[in-house]
Amino acid sequence: MSANGFLPYSRRLPVVAVLLWSLALAGAVLPWLDQLNLSGLLQAFWSVNTDDYQQVVLRYSWAPRFAMAILIGFGLGLAGAVLQQVLGNPLASPTTLGVEAGAQFSIGVATLYAPALLAFSPDLTAVAGGLMAAGLVVALTRKLGFSPVTVILAGLVISFFLGALNAALMLLHGDYLSNLFIWGAGSLVQNDWSQFQDLWPRVVIIGIALVMLMKPLQLLQLGSESARSLGINVGVLRLAALLLVVLMTASVVSRVGVVAFIGLAAPVLARLLGARTLGQKLLWSTLLGGGLLLLADTFAQWATVWAEGTLVPTGTATALIGGPVILLALRGMRNNRHMPGESAGPAHFLPRRRPLKNTLLAAAAALLMIVILALGWSPGLEAWHWTPPWEWPQVWDWRGPRLLAAIAAGVALGLAGTIVQRLTGNVMASPEVLGISGGAALVMVVLILLGINPGRTVQLLAGAIGGAAVLGFLLLLSRQHRFAGHQLLLGGVAIYVFMDAGLRLVMAGGGTEAIRLLSWMSGSTWLVSGPEALALAGVTAVLAALAAMGRRALVLLPLGEGSATALGLSVAKARLLLLLLAAFLTAAATVIIGPLSFVGLMAPHLARVLGQQTVGRQLVMAAVVGAVLLALADYLARVLIFPNQLPAGLLAALIGGGYFLWGLSRHGKH
Amino acid sequence: MSTFLEVQQLGVRIGATAILNEVSLRFAEGEVTALLGHNGSGKSTLLKVLARQMPPSSGCVSLKGRNLGATGAREFARTVGYLPQHPPATDGLTVRELVALGRYPWRGPLGRYGKEDFRLIEQAVSETDLTGFSDRSVDTLSGGERQRAWIAMLLAQQTRCLLLDEPISALDVRHQIETLRLIHRLAAERELTVIMVLHDVDLASRFCDRLVALRGGELIADGTPAEIMTRETLQKIYTIPMGVMERAPGQWISYVH
Repeated sequence: MSANGFLPYSRRLPVVAVLLWSLALAGAVLPWLDQLNLSGLLQAFWSVNTDDYQQVVLRYSWAPRFAMAILIGFGLGLAGAVLQQVLGNPLASPTTLGVEAGAQFSIGVATLYAPALLAFSPDLTAVAGGLMAAGLVVALTRKLGFSPVTVILAGLVISFFLGALNAALMLLHGDYLSNLFIWGAGSLVQNDWSQFQDLWPRVVIIGIALVMLMKPLQLLQLGSESARSLGINVGVLRLAALLLVVLMTASVVSRVGVVAFIGLAAPVLARLLGARTLGQKLLWSTLLGGGLLLLADTFAQWATVWAEGTLVPTGTATALIGGPVILLALRGMRNNRHMPGESAGPAHFLPRRRPLKNTLLAAAAALLMIVILALGWSPGLEAWHWTPPWEWPQVWDWRGPRLLAAIAAGVALGLAGTIVQRLTGNVMASPEVLGISGGAALVMVVLILLGINPGRTVQLLAGAIGGAAVLGFLLLLSRQHRFAGHQLLLGGVAIYVFMDAGLRLVMAGGGTEAIRLLSWMSGSTWLVSGPEALALAGVTAVLAALAAMGRRALVLLPLGEGSATALGLSVAKARLLLLLLAAFLTAAATVIIGPLSFVGLMAPHLARVLGQQTVGRQLVMAAVVGAVLLALADYLARVLIFPNQLPAGLLAALIGGGYFLWGLSRHGKH
Repeated sequence: MSTFLEVQQLGVRIGATAILNEVSLRFAEGEVTALLGHNGSGKSTLLKVLARQMPPSSGCVSLKGRNLGATGAREFARTVGYLPQHPPATDGLTVRELVALGRYPWRGPLGRYGKEDFRLIEQAVSETDLTGFSDRSVDTLSGGERQRAWIAMLLAQQTRCLLLDEPISALDVRHQIETLRLIHRLAAERELTVIMVLHDVDLASRFCDRLVALRGGELIADGTPAEIMTRETLQKIYTIPMGVMERAPGQWISYVH
């Protein structure tokens, strides 16, 4: 941000804060003003006339919700600012470190399997979950020196991962579904003052403790060595601050669910508006956090009114701002100290090569075996049962289409992943991480919600357009702001977060549609019919042929625009065509397997591990490996908890998410 | 010698800043030219305009009498090769695979590589003394070897002209000499037109037929090494007090007072 705006730099913060607060207050108060005056409203905070229905609503619903929003906003804003200072990371926040998702997950598990624990202390459960998630992030990124972008990438992917697990739990226990949904999306709805009474002492005590840590935290800015030489036990300080932040977040989550991104947006905004010293950051971040959440909550309430009674949880409203905020913050940190990806060139990496034929034969044999297993070997009501090949035509209708569709989706994702990795020159890129699948899924969901029941063709086209738009937008952003390495991934994840929030909003309000959408989103191959599977296989084959034609361009593009142009490639055209191809492939897969399977990440990576380093070979191998992965996932999803079924996409996501995190912790290690 | 590349009244501006201003130059076929000048003098920009990596804001550039923009992308790449200042990491490509990319302008996205292509690839590898490395990953090579691999790619491209942006800036003295010798020899054997940006004026005077100097986006000196390697001209180019002495015929040593 430059200082030459229409406002002097020093006055920006107060002005924006006042604007924000007056907007939020006006939004919260306005609907009541035609019935009551201001003093009447204020009175609701301490007294009530139980004869007047309106006053009761004000006293026990409006006022506590209003107070709760401000309290939680204060708490999360402060926690976010402290966390950023502790980790020296302008993108850190309870959301981006996975603390909220961890707390949510552990409460979800406890609700289903150990309700007694929840009755004993919901806080304890939430804190344990939050600590687990944050600990996982720290452990994974430790070797990379906690470089800012990697930490956040790991945190967000852990959030997705836990979210996928949560979704699996919900699908298995559909009866609890809607409550978990709404709570998970962060609802501030209040019925009395008890929650507020319960929460405010905790927030205040933890807040005071955090502020008391301010002096030593300030010294962390000098780097851990200097801080240590000034007499600070850096490890203990970090741990204490982290613990307090997790406590604060978990206390909030265990009461109202995930209120995402307030803890990120407030400190980021404070910093961009010119808060310089730690004291300023803490103060303004706290104030802005309260204002932001009040505003978001007001929006949510208004949206609920507009949606005619369908509940719009506050958490989704705040999550919608998450994606843009990450992108905004990324812009501001271009010149940060250790950017991964720039330093982590594969300098001493000597890729192993193997002949294509043998590896390909082995993979094809594996695929064949899975196909035989899937068609023949299945659990029956009493015992496992072997169907001989001459009876396969009779079981084809149940086992064939979904298998074929899974294989086609695997091939498509393998190819799309290879193209995206080569196009961005980043081995951790994939259609899922870059939000292409998210874009495709969002468009399809919107179609369904508009009441259009599109055929697969329309879905495919619409999905491809959504995916291409996202990828194009990301490439544009990355060129404008020179994203390097993992920054690009984070940009993609930011877009995914945005989509995810939109999807959840839709699902929380969608009533009966919700469960259908959820099972489709998590990749339920059993929805596929025979002709559809054949058509998809055909489309994938055509796209694969196109991919084979683009392979030379894929070799040239990573050499950089200069060299590629100098070799006679029209870079812009080639990029656009490959981008569209990747989007189409991703959309074809997303129709079947849902947006978050991570196969597009795993397959190309495994192809290289298996020794196929050149683009052509990697394409072939990634396609086969993708097919193997999804065919296996589909089979396991069908038989694992027979007679129930898991969605294959979800199963793949659970494996793939782990694979991504493992890759992240390995990548860049020297 | 016929004119290979020609720029007339060339101007390049980024925003309000003029990077190049009214530059007019001819480059004859088979001539090895060094572009000199201090940082920000516009020499890299001139090279990029010649390589079509950057459009000129005004003036015109022609290749063998035809407008530079008139040729197709691959046809242009068959005539003019360009080596950027910092060649990117190659993500596991072997030397031979990198060199083979030089055949892309001739074969396009789908054409098959024939015997002739493989012969040219082998020839480029052996001419740059990389035969022992041809199956090594480019990323594992030393700076000098990597530079040679990229030059081998340009050779396989079979262009008539090489545009090199500081081809020796990242190398030690020995590799600098070796690379320049290689370029010099290849230019003589294949009658290539070479235009390169160099910082070392002594080396430039030894290996080039012609030295062209820019300052602040304007042409300030142009001539044979003997004409340029004088005290007055060098002081004009670098704007510091300098001296020069001729150690042997064709070998100058410049120094700063």
